[in-house]
Amino acid sequence: MKSFLYALVIVFALSSAPARLLAQDVTYEQLLHADSTPQDWLMYGGDYSSQRFSRLTQINRVNVHSLKPAWMYQPNRPLQPFESSPVVVGGIMYVTEPLSTVTALDARLGTKIWTWSAHLPEKILTVGVHRSNRGVAVFNNTVYVETLDAHLVALDATTGAVKWTVHVDENSQGYAMTGAPRVLDGKIIVGVSGGDVGIRGFLDAYDAKTGKRLWRVWTIPSPGEPGSETWGKDMAGTGGGGTWGTGSYDPELNLLYWTTGNPAPDYNGHNRDGDNLYSNSVLAIDPDAGKVKWYFQFTPHDTHDWDAIQVPVLFDDTVNGKPGKYLALANRNGFYYVLNRVTGEFVAGVPFVKETWAKGLDEKGRPILLPNIEPTPEGSLVYPDGHGGTNWNSPSYSPQTKLFYVSAREVGAYTVAGLPKVDFPGFGGGGRNAMSGDDSYGAIRALEVMTGKLKWEYRMLAPVEASTLATAGGLVFATSNEGNFFALDAASGKLLWEFTVGGANSESNLITYEVDGKQYLIGASGNCFVAFNLP
Amino acid sequence: MPGSSTLSDKQAANIVAYLRTLDSATTSGPATGDPKKGEALYNFSGCSACHMIAGQGGSIGPELTRVGAMRGATSLKARLQDPGANLPQVGDGGAFGSRWAQYLMYRAIEKNGRVVEGMRVGEDSFTIVLKDAGGKFHGLWKPDLRSLEKEPGKSFMPSFKDTLSAAQQDDLVAYLMTLKSAQ
Repeated sequence: MKSFLYALVIVFALSSAPARLLAQDVTYEQLLHADSTPQDWLMYGGDYSSQRFSRLTQINRVNVHSLKPAWMYQPNRPLQPFESSPVVVGGIMYVTEPLSTVTALDARLGTKIWTWSAHLPEKILTVGVHRSNRGVAVFNNTVYVETLDAHLVALDATTGAVKWTVHVDENSQGYAMTGAPRVLDGKIIVGVSGGDVGIRGFLDAYDAKTGKRLWRVWTIPSPGEPGSETWGKDMAGTGGGGTWGTGSYDPELNLLYWTTGNPAPDYNGHNRDGDNLYSNSVLAIDPDAGKVKWYFQFTPHDTHDWDAIQVPVLFDDTVNGKPGKYLALANRNGFYYVLNRVTGEFVAGVPFVKETWAKGLDEKGRPILLPNIEPTPEGSLVYPDGHGGTNWNSPSYSPQTKLFYVSAREVGAYTVAGLPKVDFPGFGGGGRNAMSGDDSYGAIRALEVMTGKLKWEYRMLAPVEASTLATAGGLVFATSNEGNFFALDAASGKLLWEFTVGGANSESNLITYEVDGKQYLIGASGNCFVAFNLP
Repeated sequence: MPGSSTLSDKQAANIVAYLRTLDSATTSGPATGDPKKGEALYNFSGCSACHMIAGQGGSIGPELTRVGAMRGATSLKARLQDPGANLPQVGDGGAFGSRWAQYLMYRAIEKNGRVVEGMRVGEDSFTIVLKDAGGKFHGLWKPDLRSLEKEPGKSFMPSFKDTLSAAQQDDLVAYLMTLKSAQ
C-alpha cells in the first residue's frame, strides 16, 4: 500500500511538473486581458492594441547588459525570408517557418514538440510576395495559420493535427497568404497578398470552430460600386488593396482596424485616375456585421508602392484635459499619423523620415503633393524608396514614456514607370533602384506619440527593416539588417546591450515572455531563432 | 517588390539595361595597349607589392587574378588615374540588401586618441573592421570611438596619372584585361 501511494505521488509529480508543456486553452477572456498575463505573448502585437509593450521587468535597464543566448532554433527550410512573430501560451511557443510550416517549441528549452507543414502545390504564384509567413493565432486549443497558396488551416494546439482547412481564394488569380490571423470572439480574421499583381483585395472573417466564412469586406470596389469612381474611366487592368498586415481591435468600440496595400499597377497611375479607394487606407470595421464604419486613406493615387499595411497602434491619451482614443501609424510613405479611432478624423501627421513627394498634410491629413514626383521611364528620385520610411515590421509604444518606437529608413529610390495596366500574371514592368547603402542609413526613432515629434534616435548602418519591442523594464529592443540584437534605454535611446547573430534579414518581430520565473527575449536573424535570458 | 522570376524576358532586359546605366564598374572599351609591355610595367612599377595574381603578390589591395573578366578597360584606366574615385559596389541592391562601396577609406579616432585609417572590409550598425596600409585588420566597436569619418576619394593606391604616360597606362590596362581565368 505504501509503495502504491508512493507510486501515485510520483505519477502526480511527473504529471504536474511538466504542466507548462501542455498547450493552454486560450479563451477570449484571456485574449481581452492579454496585458494582465505578461508571461505569455498571446497574439501578434502582444494584445489587441498592438502596442507591443510588455509589463515584464526582470530584464531591465540595470541588468540588460548581462543578457545571453539561452537557446537557438533553426527552421526546416532555410534560405527563405524568415518573418515569424512567435506566440507563447503557457510555456509553449508557436512559430511559423517558410513556406507554410508551424512548429510548437518548449519555450524554456527550444525543444521541438510538433511541426506541421502544408502540402503546397509545386507552383505557387507569389508576385511581389515574400515567400514567408509572419505567425499564427491561438484560440480555444487551436492554432490558426495562413498558407502561401491562400488557405486558412486550423490545427490542434496539442498535436498539430488538422482540424479543418478552408480555401480562401484562388492562388492562380494572384491571391497568396503570409500574414498572422487575428482572433476575435469566435472569429478568425485573415487578409491576403497579391496587390502587386492586381488582385481585388479583401478581408475575411471565419467561424473559429467550423471554418465557415462569416463575411468578406472588399478593399477595392467592383465597377459601379461606391468608390469605383476613384479609378478613372474603367477599372480594367487595375486592382490591389492587399491586406497582408495584421489589424488591431478595440473591444469597447467593437471596431477592428485593418490596413490596406498599394493600388496596381504599382508604378503607373495613368489608367487609374483618382484616389483609388480603398488602397493604402485603414478601415474601421464592425466585426459583427462585416461593415466598414469609416476609412482613412494615407496615400491617394499611390505610384510608389507605399502599402499602408503597417500595424495600427491603439492608445488612449488626455489632450487639453479631454480623454481620447487614438490610432497611431508610421506609414511607408514617410509620414507618422495620429487619428481619432472613434471617428477616423485626422488629428496629427508629420514626416518621420526624409520625404520629397509632399509639402505636408492638409487639415484633413491629405498629402499636399510636390511636382515631378511621378515615376518616369528613366527613373525619378523620390524619398522614401518603395520599402518606405518603415515597412511592415511592427513598431511599439510605451505608456510609461508615451513614446512611439519605430524603425526608420532614410533612403530614396529612382522609380521607373511601368505599364499602365497589370500584365497578369507578370508584374507589368517598372521598378525602383534604391540608393546605395553608403548614401542611406537607418535609425530607431522615438516619437512623441501625440505629435510625432522626434524625442531621440539611434543611428543604424543600413535602412533598417525591423520591429521594436518596448518593456516596463525601461527598454526598447530591436534588430539591425546586419543581424545585431540590441537594447536601448526607452527614455534616452542610450545603447545598453548588443549581441551579434550575423544573419541578414532580421525581420521577425521580437517578443518577450516568461517561463519558470525567467524572462526571455526572442527573435530571428537569418535562418535562426535566438532566445536570450539573464544568466 | 515583386520577385524577378515574374518578369518577362523583355521586361528583365529593360531593367538590366537601365541598371547598367547606373554602374560604370563594368564599362568597357577597347584595350588598345600592348599587354606584353603592360606585364613588364606591372612587374617593375611595384603593383605586385599590394596586389595578388594567381597566388603571387601582396594582399593589401584587391586580388587581380580575374580582373579582366570583372572590369572593363575604361573602368580600369580610370582607376589607375584616380584609384579612390567611383569605387566598385557590391550587393544586390534588391529587397534584402543594399549596394556598398568596396575599398572605401575610413578614418577612426578611438577615445584614447589613437587614429586608425584603413579600407572598410566589414561593417554593421555597431562594428567596423578596417584594413590598414600594412594589411592589418582593426576591429572597432563604434560606440567606443570618438569619431568615424568616411574619406571619399582617398585610396592607399597612388595615382599613375602623372607617373605613367598615356601609352603606358593603355599597356598596363591591356595586360590587366588578359587576366580572366579562374585558378
